[in-house]
Amino acid sequence: MEKAEIQTRVIKVISGVLGTEESMIGEKDNFIFDLGADSMQSLQLVAGFEEAFDIEMDEDKALEVQTVDAAVDFIAQYL
Amino acid sequence: MADQTELHQKNLEKIFSPQSVAIIGANKKKGTVPFDILHGILMGEFNGLILPVSPGKTHIAGIKAYKYVTDIEDPVDLGVIVFPSTVAHMALEQCGQKGIRSVIIISAGFREVGEKGVTREQQLLDIARKYDISFIGPNCLGVINTDPKVRLNASFARKMPAAGHIGFLSQSGALCTAVLDYAEAKGIGFSKFVSFGNKADITEVDLLYYLMRDEQTNVILLYLEEVSDGRALMEAARDVIRQSGKPVLAIKSGRTREGAAAAASHTGSLAGSDEICEAAFQQAGIIRCGNIEEMFHIATALSYMPVPNSNRVAIITNAGGPGVLATDAAIKEGLELAAFSEETARKLKKALPNTANINNPVDLIGDATADRYESAMEAVFQDENVGGVFVILTPQSMTDIDAIARQVAQAAKQYDKPVYASFMGEASVASGIRILQENQIPHYSLPESMSHVFAVAHRFGRLLERKKENAVEPVVPGKTKGGAILQQAMGEGKSYLQEYEAVQLLKEYGFPVWEGQIAVSADDAGHLARKVGFPAALKIQSEDILHKVDVGGVQLGVQTEEEARSAYDAIISSVRSHVPQAAIQGVYITRQIPRGEEVILGMKRDPSFGPVILFGLGGTFVEVFRDIQFRVAPLSRTEALEMVQQTKAYKLLAGTRGRPPKDLEGIVDALQRLSQLALGHPEIRELDINPLIVLDEGKGCFVADVKVFLAEPSSTPEHHEFYI
Repeated sequence: MEKAEIQTRVIKVISGVLGTEESMIGEKDNFIFDLGADSMQSLQLVAGFEEAFDIEMDEDKALEVQTVDAAVDFIAQYL
Repeated sequence: MADQTELHQKNLEKIFSPQSVAIIGANKKKGTVPFDILHGILMGEFNGLILPVSPGKTHIAGIKAYKYVTDIEDPVDLGVIVFPSTVAHMALEQCGQKGIRSVIIISAGFREVGEKGVTREQQLLDIARKYDISFIGPNCLGVINTDPKVRLNASFARKMPAAGHIGFLSQSGALCTAVLDYAEAKGIGFSKFVSFGNKADITEVDLLYYLMRDEQTNVILLYLEEVSDGRALMEAARDVIRQSGKPVLAIKSGRTREGAAAAASHTGSLAGSDEICEAAFQQAGIIRCGNIEEMFHIATALSYMPVPNSNRVAIITNAGGPGVLATDAAIKEGLELAAFSEETARKLKKALPNTANINNPVDLIGDATADRYESAMEAVFQDENVGGVFVILTPQSMTDIDAIARQVAQAAKQYDKPVYASFMGEASVASGIRILQENQIPHYSLPESMSHVFAVAHRFGRLLERKKENAVEPVVPGKTKGGAILQQAMGEGKSYLQEYEAVQLLKEYGFPVWEGQIAVSADDAGHLARKVGFPAALKIQSEDILHKVDVGGVQLGVQTEEEARSAYDAIISSVRSHVPQAAIQGVYITRQIPRGEEVILGMKRDPSFGPVILFGLGGTFVEVFRDIQFRVAPLSRTEALEMVQQTKAYKLLAGTRGRPPKDLEGIVDALQRLSQLALGHPEIRELDINPLIVLDEGKGCFVADVKVFLAEPSSTPEHHEFYI
């Protein structure tokens, strides 16, 4: 899958979990610091990514991922 | 004060008294720290602007929220970071960009979680230095200022405590919540309440200096789990006490003997970290408390009442038994029962029934009314012989407990002497105790606690007077060749000095030593023994042998040349059989020191407090009897003398049962020389002078044996300042 497509899906998941408009989400944004995710939402993001891409990620490592572009790179490893 | 400390003092002003606070990482979820911090500030009725920073939220609790702290147009005095540790540095960076110089970092997940956390904490410090930020935390409960002009509860404590004059500083956040709960039940208020967590930037030392100048605070309480810079803490406590007269009370947890087991010297094995801490606190004037209850018992007495100007107390009671208990407790604590003047006796006789006891303790009899208590208090308060008053009450059927409590409160307002109360019991006296607490009368359930606290308060008063006359003067003027002796030994890779080297070192510092010479043959020993004089002492010199007696390496009382030759052969033969591989440099021969009292002087270098000096009854059984005292160098003359006086051996040294007094001046002088030697030479790790033989008064004392252990060259600590 192309990175651009992964990014589009990632942003869609983030928007759904955090309630932030897709246009307001930047690729360098930090889930917590820029987008306001709390600990529960961080877990929901991991679950959302797994569902959207039909993959199973290492949860501990996934929770260490902090930014949108890092999430894209991380998910790409599973595809 | 160092530049960094000055910066912290400036920035602490806005940590405690900001006009605007940004809560960075606030959220709307109840039961979370970010929510509770915002809630605490709101419910505490903060007298300033509250600015939540919360990406993704436009409003929190009806207040406009900002995505970034840099989006706030108004100036911000204080930033409270509640974001998780992974992004706390980003928040701090933005605080710097926004011009915020005062920050509290509540977030956990730093040094306390291991290596990753240590890196994160360092990142925070790097950012703080870049922007001249000072921060409290991370990993803390937060800060409370009850000053009505501010009313800041930037913490996740359940509620704002009452205003008072006690400043509380704690390394443990969890303990803070328990303390607040305890204090609320006892009606105790606070001026400032600080949980400083990992103390990565602002430490207890900075906070002590801040509270020293804080007009709302008259007593400072400290809870510490570790003392990272003991000398700085001692200096700060001394400054606080000397300059402001405010008492500093501390609980230091972790009373273990770690670090003592691996020591090489007697001093090292005797000086565990807790013994050193205890000695250092005492020396600095810090009142060390065993538990929270004792701490608040003492704190309330010192905060509510004047310091007693004498240890003579008057006891007023409505029951004979408790009066006797209080008397016993007072005497045990070193207090005295005041002898009343004739005038007082006359007043008491006139006011009290014939059955009452007008001597001290004054027994008002079981049917005592509030009026009777009033008359008795008035009489004893006015007596110049009375330094403080204990009011005891037991709840008898006719006792008007509340009225008597109010009477005590009334009397306390009229006189500049301390009054403590003990309303004994629980259920019936509860309302009376509440009246006492509301009126800031220290109350103790047991007369024993009351006496203990009075004794502590009285000692603190004496300390305030003594602080003026406790200067430390160097006893060895100018430079010595001690450094050269030590450097040469370290250059040769030695871990301890040979006796002749150690004696040279002590001689440089003016210790009373009898120099000797090294014999390399039996004939040599005969000649040298005659030269040093009889009786002579012969000791093996080998870098491979530390404990000479254990291998037959010591011969004493040698009276002739012939005996010296035989002693030499005996020593060599014994050592060869015990330690065949030992490299022997020779046998050290000195004049034998006459008999006297044996004491030990020692030094150990503590990583936090620096050089620590030991004094005690010496000889082989020093570890068994443990009759020892510690002090942190430098030692004033008064402190050195106190060390001697506080051992049990002092009675022996001062002369007892017809034995003449020993040369105390000589011991005090040697202790001060040792203190200066220790401060001047960080190359020395541990040192034992055991024994120092003390002769009769005026005849001096002599070093009979000395062991000097050297630091690893790579671990030689920095020189410590002479004065602290």
